[in-house]
Amino acid sequence: MSSPTGAVEIAGLTKTYDDHAVVDDLTLTLPDGSLTVLVGPSGCGKSTTLRIVAGLERADGGTVSIGGRDVTAESPRTRDVAMVFQNYALYPHLSVAANIAFPLRNNGVAKDEATRRAREAADRVGITALLDRKPRQLSGGQQQRVAIARALVRTPKVFLFDEPLSNLDAKLRVELRSEIRRLQQDSGITALYVTHDQEEAMTIADQLVVLDAGTIAQVGTPEELYRRPANTFVAAFIGSPSMNLLDGTVRDGTFEGDGVRFAAPGADAAAVTLGVRPEDMLVAPSEHGNGTVEIVELLGPRYVLIVTAGAHRLTAVVEAATVAGWGRTPAPGDAVTVDVRPDRVHLFDGTSGRRLT
Amino acid sequence: MKARVVLVGAVAVALLPIAYLLSLALRPAGEVLNSSLLPDTVSFDNFVKVFDTIELGTMLTNSWVSAVGAAVLAVVIATPAAYFTARHVRGERLLTVLLASYCAPPIVAIIPLFFLLRYAGLTNGVAGLILVNGIAGVPVAAWLLDGFVRRIPVEIDEAAAIDGLSVVATLRKVVIPLLWPGIVAALLVTFFLSYNDFLFAVYLAVTKESQTLTVGLSLFQGDRNVQFGQQAAAGLLGVAPVYVLALAAQRYLVGGLTTGATK
Repeated sequence: MSSPTGAVEIAGLTKTYDDHAVVDDLTLTLPDGSLTVLVGPSGCGKSTTLRIVAGLERADGGTVSIGGRDVTAESPRTRDVAMVFQNYALYPHLSVAANIAFPLRNNGVAKDEATRRAREAADRVGITALLDRKPRQLSGGQQQRVAIARALVRTPKVFLFDEPLSNLDAKLRVELRSEIRRLQQDSGITALYVTHDQEEAMTIADQLVVLDAGTIAQVGTPEELYRRPANTFVAAFIGSPSMNLLDGTVRDGTFEGDGVRFAAPGADAAAVTLGVRPEDMLVAPSEHGNGTVEIVELLGPRYVLIVTAGAHRLTAVVEAATVAGWGRTPAPGDAVTVDVRPDRVHLFDGTSGRRLT
Repeated sequence: MKARVVLVGAVAVALLPIAYLLSLALRPAGEVLNSSLLPDTVSFDNFVKVFDTIELGTMLTNSWVSAVGAAVLAVVIATPAAYFTARHVRGERLLTVLLASYCAPPIVAIIPLFFLLRYAGLTNGVAGLILVNGIAGVPVAAWLLDGFVRRIPVEIDEAAAIDGLSVVATLRKVVIPLLWPGIVAALLVTFFLSYNDFLFAVYLAVTKESQTLTVGLSLFQGDRNVQFGQQAAAGLLGVAPVYVLALAAQRYLVGGLTTGATK
């Protein structure tokens, strides 16, 4: 039941608080029917951007248009957007059914019709049994389902999600995020989703936007950002455990810095940052290794090893099957050889942090 | 245990004047001046005679009507005001200005108020008292309600805006339903303030038909022969229903006063 609702165009958006630019000349297109995730550390401007799209905050500069219509000067109620808040923001004095029907009733839908559609929306998020309850009688997860139903019920032009899962426990977060993804895809409605959790961002995004201090660090699919981070900020932010970043030089295809040497296919450079994903580290037990195991963590099918090599602390992810081949489980203090898969390394400019190749 | 003794003591001290008022009201006229703590003989004469001495019925009616009216007027004005002061960036400052005006001694306003009311033809009537006491109660009511509005998460207002409500409609359909405990508290406090008002009433409502209870009680003092027993009886009749009201609404009152204080 795909019903395209139109792209959202954000152009030159700027918002300043006390001389500090929270959003700085941000330009972004949310393709029709897609789910775009804004991710970044706290204070990067992601929530402010979303709130400007909602109309809850005024931009100091720039425009927002929804489905080709400039809504920059409009109030939230005329923008035809639906929003899910971090703290649910249900109406405590209304029943679940009345909460879901609320936006319909305010837009002139007759009571019977509103009730019918509220029931339908409740059914889609699996809370039909709770329709007569009051919000305070529900768990956090149930409350957020009500809030999602309230957003779904009126087929808006845009869905806005402001850290919708941040108040829920880990298991529920995983469950609800795939449900949000499914509901958004079923509805075909353009969505903007804000989170500080890069894993959540990676799993649901069509288009992933990493924000750094009010500007876009990189836009792309989750895979693009993971495979080819445009700068060290994105490299460090996306992926868990984080990418290893080492400062040094490249000469004749070899990286050297603070006591380690790795093969690194790239042009000679005096100041580079070498990036290696933990799963692209090669670690093996060896009497005369160049590194030492410091911490060992078992994460089910794989191990996370923190090893020291030269002056660096590096994170390596090793498959449990590989470790099984070593004959014994690594322990802190073990000597190991530490190397990288040369075809998988990332090289960034040492001063600007920008990707080199 | 120690704390309890102190508290019971404090309550006893607070209740002593009321107890003595009761003791005075229940003794015959001849016993009033014998300075004993308890009456020798109990008599309800004072409660009967007081209705002949002063227009107690009219006064009680005037007091109640003007206090209820003033409370409603104050809260009707203060509710949207508090919504603004609690939600708008500059609201806090406005609330301070509003409260500051309340700190001025009300007597400074008497002369202009008297002329304004006379010009409007509202002297010597409950309408004038409702207007004056109601407006005088706005700062207190707004200050109380401000604390209650701040307890409502602002995201609920934002959700309402996104769900299609104007600011006025948000106030009416979402904020006010959540504000009821605060509204009740504000109604009670402003009711008590104007029920107890003497200053405005004694200047602005001087005819027999428009006098309130506080003014009526003061009239006993002017007589050559002070009827202490009847004054006590009238005082009790005026105060008793208010006490009952305060006890019945204790929950709202305490909640209201502490919310305003700690917000």
